[in-house]
Amino acid sequence: MKKMLKRTLSLMLALLMVAGLAACGNNAEQTSNPPAANSQPAENNNNNNNNDNQQSAGEEVTLKWAVWDINLTTYYQPLIDAYVADHPNVKIEMVDLGSSDYQNALITQLTGNADLDVVCVKDIPGYANLVKGGYLSDLSGAGIDSSLYGGTIEQITVDGKFYALPFRSDHWVVYYNKALFDAAGVDYPTNDMTIAEYDALARQVTSGTGAGKVYGSHFHTWRSAPSLFAVLDGQHTVVDGSYDFMKSTYEWVLAEQNDGICQDYGTLKATQTHYSGVFFNQQCAMMNMGSWFIPTQIEKVKSGESLATNWGIVKYPHPEGVAAGTTLGTITSVAVNAASAKQDAALDFVKFVGGEQGAEIIAKTGTFPAIKSDAVLDELAKMDGFPTDEASKEALSTTQVYLEMPMHDKAADIEGVLNEAHDGIMTGAMTIDEGIQKMNNEVSALLG
Amino acid sequence: MQTTQRPAASEAVVRSRKKRELVKNLVAYSFIAPNFVGFAVFTLVPMVMAVALAFLSWDGSNNNPITFAGFQNFIDLFQDPKFTQALVNTVAYAVITVPLTMAASLGLAILLNQKIHARNFFRTMMFFPYVASMVAVTAVWNMLFNPSMGPVNMILSGLGVENLPRWSADPNWFICMGTVILFSIWKFMGYYMIIYLAGLQGVNPDLYEAAALDGANPWQKFWYVTMPQLRPTTFFVTVMLTIQCFKVYDIFLMITNFGPGGKTRVLVGNIYEAAFTSRNFGYASAMAMVLFILVLIVTLIQFRGESSMKE
Repeated sequence: MKKMLKRTLSLMLALLMVAGLAACGNNAEQTSNPPAANSQPAENNNNNNNNDNQQSAGEEVTLKWAVWDINLTTYYQPLIDAYVADHPNVKIEMVDLGSSDYQNALITQLTGNADLDVVCVKDIPGYANLVKGGYLSDLSGAGIDSSLYGGTIEQITVDGKFYALPFRSDHWVVYYNKALFDAAGVDYPTNDMTIAEYDALARQVTSGTGAGKVYGSHFHTWRSAPSLFAVLDGQHTVVDGSYDFMKSTYEWVLAEQNDGICQDYGTLKATQTHYSGVFFNQQCAMMNMGSWFIPTQIEKVKSGESLATNWGIVKYPHPEGVAAGTTLGTITSVAVNAASAKQDAALDFVKFVGGEQGAEIIAKTGTFPAIKSDAVLDELAKMDGFPTDEASKEALSTTQVYLEMPMHDKAADIEGVLNEAHDGIMTGAMTIDEGIQKMNNEVSALLG
Repeated sequence: MQTTQRPAASEAVVRSRKKRELVKNLVAYSFIAPNFVGFAVFTLVPMVMAVALAFLSWDGSNNNPITFAGFQNFIDLFQDPKFTQALVNTVAYAVITVPLTMAASLGLAILLNQKIHARNFFRTMMFFPYVASMVAVTAVWNMLFNPSMGPVNMILSGLGVENLPRWSADPNWFICMGTVILFSIWKFMGYYMIIYLAGLQGVNPDLYEAAALDGANPWQKFWYVTMPQLRPTTFFVTVMLTIQCFKVYDIFLMITNFGPGGKTRVLVGNIYEAAFTSRNFGYASAMAMVLFILVLIVTLIQFRGESSMKE
């Protein structure tokens, strides 16, 4: 009898579980709807046109915009305010997905059919994953003039289509501490420096020992900081599958590290030292870093946190035979969620943020927009606290910008391999040859 | 007549008893239902799905089809040098950490079970690392073991040691792995010390008295009285510690970041990378299954050992 009862009850529990599973199954069915909608873009567009017609009739539209760090980012609100002033029927709500794991959070939200219309895309590997997953609407037919974007749109185009519009674009420059150069009696760096000249200068300006030591250069622990000097000649990219061209770059960086010209990678990594602190505390005379650090440095000089009050920037060092102003860059872009029901309204906002009007608003906050017209560069150089010398202003313009990570559908995986090998080489866990061998083998395996 | 009535009566009795029991059981099940339903929805169903996912190929997107992969994920796994390396590291980490943590926590428990001055203070101090936030203590640990200017290396250099170890950034596997193991022991010994203390307090003092009468020395008392009496505790500690060690992720992430050059990669780190960087959920699930089976086998062996010791 008891057995029977137990059996009935376990059957009931099993049914309960099946019901649970069935509920999940329903969910799965629901979530499989968007692809169907996606595979019929014409129909989708029709719907949107209807939508748009209603919108132009003054109907309220609320767009949800996925971003990170609302409180730390100065340009979101001015962008929204300016847009809403022209489009009073549109309301824009920001959804903060956090900075550290933004791309994962975003893709999870999109998979769960979250109610998002416009999304920020943080980096190229993240963009590649979003494109692969079919989460973003194609913008190539939206009448965007790609010539304004300094070649960045071409670099994110896949099979003739692009799915995001860059609105921020930073490039790498060299920050230097004029006071330390003056004290060492060494001439300032210039806007036309080869990598060899940069190395020589770093060696000249290094001085002192112990806590008061001044390092000539500073390479942050990111792989991009030292290793990407290797791609500036335009002959190779980091998604080639063959990395022998990086050998000479690693050799000079390791030589600087061994000679005490720059700080030791292992120590910086173990203490998770932020590059800003090294520059603020005058521990290095020169530091190669992205232009995103300019507003921070200006602000911290004002607040007294940065002791490097007499500073300047110059163009990135380049390989022999390559034009000055050749540098690395990163882009941040905005895109339309393919599953959003408000495609046209979302696209309009995206074009505003990534367009010329948006660029001027972004530049006013001291951030580098993707469109760098003369007006924008003037605006940036006029920033209160920006170095007044002519060379620093000139350093804001570029000749050729290579993305830190070119667009590739395996970008995230390749990046993982390269980062690991970089860590191995820089800590001495691998020789340069072993590290390069590892990159060659593992990336070739990924590329199939 | 009587003969026909009797079974009917007993049937009624049986039925009412059956009904009473059903009600009783239903009441009992209704008490566990809130917990069980939660467990089923948030743990059991995802677990079952993870098993299924191990045989599928999926990038986590709604827009791309899920395809059946059969055993391909598992075949790929065992051809992946990163996986083998992670497997070896995880097993090595567990094999070294488990006995050392047990020895440390048992030693501490015995020490702090004595009537020493400020005993509770020391117990709290030893328990503290377990309560402290992982991120905070790993940051402190990284500073202590900073390769260039950390206090540990300064002391070693003061003692005249040359070729100072570079700890978490050391190219030598034994040193970077050792740094993590040292941290794990320090972090978890306090918790298992408390469990051992509870076990020690359950040992009947008469046994020690009897042993003393038989002329046992302290070592013999420990070996022949304390250890056998602590066997259930030791068993519990071993199982918990083993599972914990196989599941390790955060400690490696914070201390070595699986470096230098991937030398300290562990299984869960690989699972995260496969799922959320490469967005290869099938492959990640296959790895999770291997981890699950590994933990299951080790735990079964431990259960087997425990029951054979009982006999």
